[in-house]
Amino acid sequence: MKNDKDFELKNNLPEVVNDPEICEEDFKLVDADERVHEQKFSTKPTTFLKDSMKRFSKNKSSVVAAGILGFLLLLSFIVPVVSTADVSTSHPELRYLEPKLFNAGTGFWDGTKKWSNIATDTSLMPDASTDEDKEKYWFPSPVDFKANGIIKGSKKFSAPTYTSKASEYGKDGYMQIGYYDTFTGDYISFSTFETDDFNVKVKDTDPSFELDVSDPENKPTWLTVFDVYDEAKLKTLEGNSYSIPENYEQGECALFFNFYKTVDGKQVLASVQLTEYASVHNIGSAIDSLKQEKINIAKIIAESPEVEGRTSFDVVSFSVRIKNLDNKAHTCVLLKSIGFESESTNTSTLRIFRNISMSDATQEMMQAYQTDSSKYNYKYWFCDGGNSSVRKLYMGKVIYCSFTYDSYEAMLGSFSLDTFAISKLEQYYRNKYIDYLAVSTLDPVTHKYKLDENSFRFTILNAKKCPIREALTKDNFKVNEDNGEIRCINVPITGYKYYGYSSMPKFLFGTDKTGRDMLKYVFEGLRFSLVLGILTFLVCFLFGLVYGAISGYFGGTVDLVMERFTDILSGVPWIVVMTLVVIHLGSNFWTFALALCLTGWIGTASTTRTQFYRFRGREYVLASRTLGANDARLIARHILPNAMGTIVTGAVLMIPSVIFSEATISYLGLGLRNLPSLGVILSRNQAELMNNPHLLLFPAMVIALLMISFNLFGNGLRDAINPSLKGEGE
Amino acid sequence: MLKYSLKRILLAFITAFIILTMTFFLVKSLPPTGVISPSENVRMAYYLDQVALGYVTDRSELTPSLGKLLEHIKDSAGVDHYFYQTPIIHQYFRWLGNIVTKWDWGRSTVIEPNTSAIIIIGTRLPVSISVNIISVLISVPLGIALGILAGLKKNTWVDHTISTLVMVFISIPSFVVITLLIYWLAYQTGWLPSTWPTPDQSTKTRVLAYVIPVLSLSFGSICGYTRFVRAELCEVMSSEYLLLARTKGLTKNQAIVRHALRNAFVPILPSVLAEFIGIFGGSMILESIYSIPGIGSLYIKALNQANPDYNVLMVDMAIFTTIGLLAGILLDLSYGFLDPRIRMGEKR
Repeated sequence: MKNDKDFELKNNLPEVVNDPEICEEDFKLVDADERVHEQKFSTKPTTFLKDSMKRFSKNKSSVVAAGILGFLLLLSFIVPVVSTADVSTSHPELRYLEPKLFNAGTGFWDGTKKWSNIATDTSLMPDASTDEDKEKYWFPSPVDFKANGIIKGSKKFSAPTYTSKASEYGKDGYMQIGYYDTFTGDYISFSTFETDDFNVKVKDTDPSFELDVSDPENKPTWLTVFDVYDEAKLKTLEGNSYSIPENYEQGECALFFNFYKTVDGKQVLASVQLTEYASVHNIGSAIDSLKQEKINIAKIIAESPEVEGRTSFDVVSFSVRIKNLDNKAHTCVLLKSIGFESESTNTSTLRIFRNISMSDATQEMMQAYQTDSSKYNYKYWFCDGGNSSVRKLYMGKVIYCSFTYDSYEAMLGSFSLDTFAISKLEQYYRNKYIDYLAVSTLDPVTHKYKLDENSFRFTILNAKKCPIREALTKDNFKVNEDNGEIRCINVPITGYKYYGYSSMPKFLFGTDKTGRDMLKYVFEGLRFSLVLGILTFLVCFLFGLVYGAISGYFGGTVDLVMERFTDILSGVPWIVVMTLVVIHLGSNFWTFALALCLTGWIGTASTTRTQFYRFRGREYVLASRTLGANDARLIARHILPNAMGTIVTGAVLMIPSVIFSEATISYLGLGLRNLPSLGVILSRNQAELMNNPHLLLFPAMVIALLMISFNLFGNGLRDAINPSLKGEGE
Repeated sequence: MLKYSLKRILLAFITAFIILTMTFFLVKSLPPTGVISPSENVRMAYYLDQVALGYVTDRSELTPSLGKLLEHIKDSAGVDHYFYQTPIIHQYFRWLGNIVTKWDWGRSTVIEPNTSAIIIIGTRLPVSISVNIISVLISVPLGIALGILAGLKKNTWVDHTISTLVMVFISIPSFVVITLLIYWLAYQTGWLPSTWPTPDQSTKTRVLAYVIPVLSLSFGSICGYTRFVRAELCEVMSSEYLLLARTKGLTKNQAIVRHALRNAFVPILPSVLAEFIGIFGGSMILESIYSIPGIGSLYIKALNQANPDYNVLMVDMAIFTTIGLLAGILLDLSYGFLDPRIRMGEKR
């Protein structure tokens, strides 16, 4: 076209020259002197990043998410550095403190917790000798709530009106008292059965309960009810009043052995009656009478047709069933709560029974029994202690109380120490907190040591810093009569000063059972998760990029082989890959990162491969190849920059997904164990949900916030850098 | 289509075979664990069965050249039995043979000693399926309905609310959701049981026990479907053929029902089908937190650090792998079936 025009011009030229109207001046180029191409654009060119930024900032939710993410990131690096709390060693004095931000009494996030309907054992309360006292101070089990805690708030006394949680059982209704154990997968609680006295052999590692009837010495195996309970560490059975309502004279009770057996593929509860039903006036005497009557339990069980020759049982229980022969329904009142001591965990804590629900056995049982008595082989009911099948209650009266419990006051407030190291006193003396003199003298007459009462003195010099609240008296000092050693008893102290704090500490997220500051621990976990996530992302991204690039660029056989490999790898569920790697290589940071990397790169690789397929045949690639560019140059300089946008778009959400995978697998207990990741923290505190929910709620909140903001941010970023959306919405 | 389907199925078979072989070698190369049972008779029976199945050799004297000794038992007749593992490659071929001829995938060593792993899976599978099926039946219609609602009311407050909630719920890890559900619905209010009930508990309790698992499984699923349906519907709504349908004189509703939804459902239906395959797998997290005796918690139980039950673990892995592959095939095949333009992996 251009040539044609030139040609036309040339042809017309002679005519034009001859024309007087048009002079040579007209043919001068107007802009000949100006260098147009050096002029700057009046509008600024937008770069890819700027355009992305512009589009990203339009997406409000992503911006907010980015802000939250940045905040979390900042905290995760600042908090572990700034916080002086020690999270690596155990601090029993700080255990289970509630989260506290405001001062106590504000009612929200103030380190206090409202407990309601806690079954309370009044006999365990100190300072409560009379009933009146008991109503004044409602302490639940002192093991669970340190008895010196200040317990405020409402007090509810369900006795003697029995209104709240009493239930009734009617004619032929049964009530079961007993120890019951389930075999749920952990080898726990069976150790409690271990005894040599009766041929009831259960070892810690054995999942089954074996009854050995073939006694070599042919000694009859006596087992009394009381002994069963005793061996089962059923606490507080002794010395309690078990009372059935007074009009309940027609009741009968008997001892049962219960176990599960499989009938038509279903687990059904079967039981063997060990004693005849005996009339009872109250359960206490019933148990006593059963105790006196020696029962060869193993023989009865072995000979029972129900057992069918079995010698081992998975889930067993011994129980006393009380049958109601009356036509009336009787009110059953729980007299006292009991707990089981679990030997395997070595905790002597009495479990707290909350919200004891005694479902009305009468209706449900009777209905079931009347409709088809053969179908229901149980004619009694378990008293369920709320939620776990392990916890059972026997008949008794339960006193519920509701109160506000200030864990800080209890653990670090004012209380008195039973024994106080004398070295501490000396230390306070050296620090000039106190001035004291307590020496022991040898009595010349009796040749025994005693406190020298004349020289004794004790004054508090620095009340601000001294952990001891009041001046000690002579009564606080005890002298060993034989060697003159002095001990200090019942010392009233201020807890936090005693443990070395200048003021009452505040733990924003509370503390866990070893006294760890959850704030620091959670953010350490967050930092760990983030580092792991980013590291894995980088490795996966780079590897996926290279793998996909090779596969997509070369194609053919190379591609086919590489594709089959990814097919197989992606066919294995990631959880399987992870467990295999972890059990083969052990659980530490690097194997864990490796396990995460093993499947993580597949997504990036397939996106890259598709992109390379798309671009490798383009003209510019061909042109570059003709100019002599080698494969590496073509991949790195020509195809990759074009494909990058889409690849990054696909890979952006990898970091949250890696964090998610890590948390999930650690939570399942298959992954990391000793490193502080969010999943590990959650997994460790899983059992605390009922009594200390803050240990789970805070890390859960952090991880949820992290995931939400990461996903929102990732989505926004993906939209912003997606090359196909470039320039949209202008 | 038939040829394509057969090809896909065959390919999946080969993939599954390779994966299982790899898993077998990886698992068997771990330090072998003998059977764990207090009763000597059970252990003896287990080893004799293993000898019959070809995984173990029985020697009457100590033979150190044979590798790791699993156990030494003196039987009632006073005869010594030294049980040695056979080489892994030998075990592998016997394993394949036993699967083909006896459908014996291995015996449990810890969970229920000397019981076939398939039987253990069989007793646990119904529980997982029952939980999953309820959750699928709830989440699929609800998810699709919410997705349609959000898609049709795009960029209104309805859409924004739904989308935000979806974003939130899809981001929160499932164990957090389960933990919170248990905390609120079981511990705080006491409405629902906090763990899976034993068979002897009342029907009411056992029915109520489904609520938390179903809820926690459904949340993620509902959100996934809502997002998916919304995205598909939005894409279809802005397409030209819908504009054409409107210009031809169809009302908005007609256009949506006859054109938009129909086309939007092309990618959705296959994923619903794949979801139904997924009911055979158990959620490990949910099942282990709520102690549901399904195959997900079986996996965790079999992986117990102190006493792992590798044979059961392997069958469980096989199930999860097979489900994944099956769902993938079904997804691709039904895509191709519903929309002949899309035939995944077919030669162009």
